[in-house]
Order: sequence, then C-alpha cells, then structure tokens
Amino acid sequence: MHEILNDPIDVTVAFTDNRVLPRAMRWNEREYKIDQVNLVHTAREGAKRIFYFSVSDAANYFKLKLDPEILEWRLVELYTDG
Amino acid sequence: MDNTARIILHIDMNSYFASVEQQANPFLRGKPIGITGKNQERSVVATASIEAKALGVKTAMSTWEAKKVCPSIILWPGDPEKYSDIMHRFNAIYESFTPNVEPFSVDESFLDITEEAEDYFGATCMAQAIRSRLYEELGEHITASIGIAPNKLMAKLACETVKPNGLTVVRPHEILDLLDRSELEDLCGIGPRIKERLNALGIANFKQLREFPRENLEREFHSYGTWLHEAALGRVASAPLLFKEGLGVVTSQQEAKSYGHSYTLPQNTSDPRVLKRYLFGLADKVGWRMRRDGVVARRVTAFVRFGDPSTSLGTGFSSHGEQRTFQEPTADGMHLFQIAWKILEPISLVDVRLVGLSTSILSGDPTQPSLFKKERNMTSVLSALDELQHRYGSGIWKRGATLQTEFKSRSSGFHFDHEI
Repeated sequence: MHEILNDPIDVTVAFTDNRVLPRAMRWNEREYKIDQVNLVHTAREGAKRIFYFSVSDAANYFKLKLDPEILEWRLVELYTDG
Repeated sequence: MDNTARIILHIDMNSYFASVEQQANPFLRGKPIGITGKNQERSVVATASIEAKALGVKTAMSTWEAKKVCPSIILWPGDPEKYSDIMHRFNAIYESFTPNVEPFSVDESFLDITEEAEDYFGATCMAQAIRSRLYEELGEHITASIGIAPNKLMAKLACETVKPNGLTVVRPHEILDLLDRSELEDLCGIGPRIKERLNALGIANFKQLREFPRENLEREFHSYGTWLHEAALGRVASAPLLFKEGLGVVTSQQEAKSYGHSYTLPQNTSDPRVLKRYLFGLADKVGWRMRRDGVVARRVTAFVRFGDPSTSLGTGFSSHGEQRTFQEPTADGMHLFQIAWKILEPISLVDVRLVGLSTSILSGDPTQPSLFKKERNMTSVLSALDELQHRYGSGIWKRGATLQTEFKSRSSGFHFDHEI
C-alpha cells in the first residue's frame, strides 16, 4: 500500500562521514528502526533546499523530509509491502 | 584531429526513472513497475522497469494498456525533482573525469575522453571507474550502459547493443562490423518512416545502404541522403537534427528546433475557461524556456486531444492541431497564448482530454527594444520574473489569470519539466 502523507515525526540520526543518517523514527506513537538508507536527494522549495531520505525497515519504505532551516522532519511517503 | 582518433563515451542510465525508484524503495526491486503521472488512470508509462519491459510493457504505453499487457505491474507516480537531482549528481561524476560532458537527455550523456583516456584501454578503464563511482554514490540499482567509439553516433549505437549494464567498445576498424550487426532503426537518426522509404528502395541493412549509389540517395533524401551514406560508413559524428554538428567534437549545447508543452487534464472538459487557463499556463512555461535559452519564435502550434479510448472501443484519441506563422517573433507567454487561443477558439472544444502548445521557426533574440512603452515595460517585468525563476525555481510566480490552474507536480509523464 502506497500512502502520501505529511506527518511530523521524531527522528534519531547519526552524523557519520559528513552525512546525516536516520537511524530510527517515531510516528503514530510507534517506534521504527531504520535498517537501510537507500537514497538521499534534495529538492528546492522556493529559496530553501529540502533533503529527502528514502529509508526502509524490514516491511516498510518511508520517505522522510528534512527542512534544514527549521530542523523539522516529516514522513511524506509510506509503502508497505504486500 | 582525425575523427577516428577521438574517443567518445556514451552513457545511458538503464530504465532510469524506474531504477531510481527501485533504488529508493527496496520493495519495488525485482518487480515490474511503471513510472507514471500522478493521475494514473489518465497517464502513460514514462519508464518501465527492466522487469516490466521483459513482460512486454513499453515506454509511452497508456497505463490501461500496460495493465492489460502486465496485470502485475506496479504503477508508481514519478518524482521529477528526484530524477533531476540524481541527474545532476551523475553528470557531476562524469565531469570529474573530463570537462567535455554533453548531456543529451535526462538519462544520457556523451563524454569526449580523447585526452584523458589516451587509448581504448584507458577508455575502458575509465568507463569501469565511472561505473564504480555510480555504484558507490547513487546505489547498486541505478545502473548504466556504456558505449565507447570514435564518434557520438557510433558510441550511442554501441551503447544500445548491450542492455542493461553493458559496456561495448567499438574501435575504428570495428565500426562496419557493428553497423552490419545492427538494424537500420537502431541508428539514432533513422526512424520508422525513413526505414520504410529505404526499404522501398530495396535497402534493408547497412551493407546495402553503403553500397547504394550516393547520388541516388541524395536524389531521394536531398542532404539527408549524404548523411545516410556517410552514416552507413560510420563516418558522421552525429545524427542530423538531434545533435549539434561537430564531427566528433562534443559540444556543450544543443540547439532546440522547437519548444512545447502539453498537459493531460485531471478530467475531460468542454469549458473554454478551463482550457484557456491551462493553455495560458503552458504558454508561460514555453515562453520562459525560450527566454532562458535566448530565442524567439515565429510559429505557434496549438493542439487538443479529445475523448477516452477505454470508452471508445480502443480506437484511440482523436485530436486536432493547427499552426500559425507570424512576422514579429516573440517569447512572451501572453503573446504565445493569444495566438494559440485564436487557433483553438473556433474549434468545437467538447470533451477535451489534453491541451498543448509548441513554438518553432526559432531565432536568436535580437533584444531590440520595442517602440511601444507598454511592451518595453512588459519586457522588463518578464526579465525580473525570469531572474526570480532562475533563483527560486518554477512556481515562484503565477499570473492572476491562471491562479485556479494547478499543474500537478508529479503528473508530468514524459515531460521532465520541473525546472521550468
């Protein structure tokens, strides 16, 4: 199932080799451990550069959005296998 | 430099949009997927994954046809901004190997590596090194096929021979062999219509094309006949109309012959106000791209497509298009819209599915100020708006007349137009 969302989330990240790597996230009062960061890309929103992290755990794909200006994370896409 | 002494790399990302999505989402890997617009019912498959292609799905198939051919296909809405960002990243990787990079399309680039590689062994090593960098920096699922040859045309043909993830090297003395193993239509610059005309002359392969008297080809195809003859010998650097000529030298810019945009509406409409708004929005997009490239046009073509084939026994969409040529060249979206609407207004606009506009007969913008103050003011407003758009991207400004018109950001289908 593929859902387009825009929900604020809490994210735990690691700063490694000049990279930001999401490790876990909390959404809908549930904790998800992130197994893989599959792709990171950026996009422009007016003057701002927004970062998108395509990550997954064993059963879900999540697309996370980071607004570096206000340091806010949002879950913008969810795909659950099956 | 002797043209055969050049070494050109052609790199083509495999099933690009689909591969990027499979890289991002591991649950799409190994499955037939098709990248579509946001409104999937009314969209086409812009890119099919390697798995979907193997099951018969082709690029540009409508989504209902793709579902018919491959019921298990996963239709996935495309994300142009993501593809653009990845495109900039792989072109940056190429530029770390040579400054002579010519992007040919969103997923294809030519690299002139004559000086950097020195010979074909060096070129092969460089191609492998580029492939390793793509793997490390983009991920293992975004793969590319690479062709190496003495000119762009042959490098592209070489690249097409092994997909996905191929590496094909064609040295100067192997060109005729490559051509003789290829179909006429495999060559960039020979489409179905040219192939048909060649077949009518008794030419079914490159050997026959090579042996066909050049003057007879020129009689049939004029200057294109010269190109066909030379292409059959592997001696031309590039395809006519598709690449800027440069006999093997990679050029930094290609010259567009036309600019155009079309849009499949969220619902069919017969309301001229709705159509006008979309047409105006499209005209502004076309006008902006022309001003960005410093060109003006003397011809506008406007077109509409009607109906829905799924309810018309698969007979396809009917459409209508006309063009107008005028004396005063323009790149102003307002002028383009006015001309396009004059074309469409008299038509019976009932049950319209798609609206589009394109410009042609292009020339460089002479930037001669208009005699009229109102037009001079508009020119300066447009140039200020263009600067804003350069800096902040599309969507930074909108005409009041098109305020109610929303071009859905992920519905571009083929149109990789997020940067406009």
